[in-house]
Amino acid sequence: MDVGRHPNIRLLAYSEVEKVEGELGDFKVTVRKKARYVDESKCTGCGACAEKCPTAISDEYNLGLANAKAIYRYFAQGIPSTYTINTNFCRNFQAGKKCGVCAKVCQAGAIDYKQQDQVLEVEAGAVILATGYELFDARRIPEYGYGRLPNVVTALEFERFLSASGPTHGHVYRPTDLALKESLPELEKSRQKAFKALEKFEKQFEKTSDEFYPLYEAGELKGEDYEKWAEQVRAFRDLDGEVQARKEKVASLESAHRLAFIQCVGSRDIRFNRYCSGFCCMHAIKEAIIAREHDPQAQVYIIGMDIRAVGKGFEEYRNRGAKESHIEYVRSRVAEITEDKDHSPVIWYEDTKERVVKSLPVDLVILSTACEPSPATRILADIIGLEVNDFGFYATDPSQPLDTSRPGIFVCGCAQSPMDIPESVAQASSAAARAAQVLSGSGTLRLAS
Amino acid sequence: MTGDTVTRKEISVVNRDVLVIGGGIAGIQASLDLAEMGIKVHLVERLPSIGGKMSQLDKTFPTNDCAL
Repeated sequence: MDVGRHPNIRLLAYSEVEKVEGELGDFKVTVRKKARYVDESKCTGCGACAEKCPTAISDEYNLGLANAKAIYRYFAQGIPSTYTINTNFCRNFQAGKKCGVCAKVCQAGAIDYKQQDQVLEVEAGAVILATGYELFDARRIPEYGYGRLPNVVTALEFERFLSASGPTHGHVYRPTDLALKESLPELEKSRQKAFKALEKFEKQFEKTSDEFYPLYEAGELKGEDYEKWAEQVRAFRDLDGEVQARKEKVASLESAHRLAFIQCVGSRDIRFNRYCSGFCCMHAIKEAIIAREHDPQAQVYIIGMDIRAVGKGFEEYRNRGAKESHIEYVRSRVAEITEDKDHSPVIWYEDTKERVVKSLPVDLVILSTACEPSPATRILADIIGLEVNDFGFYATDPSQPLDTSRPGIFVCGCAQSPMDIPESVAQASSAAARAAQVLSGSGTLRLAS
Repeated sequence: MTGDTVTRKEISVVNRDVLVIGGGIAGIQASLDLAEMGIKVHLVERLPSIGGKMSQLDKTFPTNDCAL
């Protein structure tokens, strides 16, 4: 992306707007550039610091599905490529701990634990708000079990599973299977510990445990030490059996074959958002087609009230999904998701064609969560004093869809209403043109009354 | 909207820079367009890197090309 090197763009990443004063043609905006504790002009983005950083934290970019370090880059190809220290986790910033590893390994000398937030004053003639959206928190629908049933994920989490650079390198493994895999090294460690303890006894009594235990059981060896040894033998055998069993289980794990998308999770639902979020139908179809590309055995269901394929070529894409990727579209509103053995989700829904309640067992459920105004949209509406509509998006007039309630402040993308990527791009170009138009010095501004 | 509801306001343009808040696909597109027009842009992003939600997508509809 050219943003990082365009001479006309000054990029203020890791920054927040605190105050907007003035009016069209003459805004004064206060921006807080948060301290990264890494000098942007020196950091080369080599990553030596993150490699050596001893503190592993949950990776926000991968939605907590992978680990990052306390000194991190939001994602590998991110612009700017400068690393940032997460002070909530970094040992240097947590009281009573000393670390300084990153400063030691940084050859550029970019680490600066004393860096301060900078408060900047930016002068501009116009402002464009592109504060985006946030996904509906699926926990608000308890009957779908998100957060409680491990194999129920959101569409954005599933996106990271499909990504070659994601936590599963593009394989669709169920979260419970991944957890099983990850638990293996820990279990092997405990087994190793138990083994070492046995070795101590074996040295002390100059007998192998296999020789000792039958004798002990026969009652030939008595005493406190022998009892302890016997206890340790039993513990080791249990752990050893567990390790073997889990290894076999992990070896026999397959990727998830039966996938079900549930549409309108939080959208078109009078309890939450009455509006249609617009992009989720096509997003689900796209993910289904890619899942099938990765795994030709995959059987994908998309369950929703209808498929809203509105746009040029969208309906054809939907049909291609059914024909080439064998997606099965089920017309229903899902009532509940329960769990079968092995944490396999079971979907309960009414088949609206046959008018019967059915259940559908699958390996993984993917929730197409709604598009909601981002927290930044709410905060900035307060700071700037802008009107929002009933749903919390910036209010605009239908005949002037880029103009907010304050002249000179324009809006584009999902901050205005839910929309897909091409629409966001088109609206962004419009907002840019609108800003350029009002600043072109014609002297008058046409306002909606 | 009919013509008689339109109002016009006199403005004085002191500064021709534009501040874009949000470095997702919309903010990036608006910034690049303005910059290409020769307008100086200040792009503010809350997170350490720009890219927004779209950077988290693996591939995008309809061509299934990489989103990045």
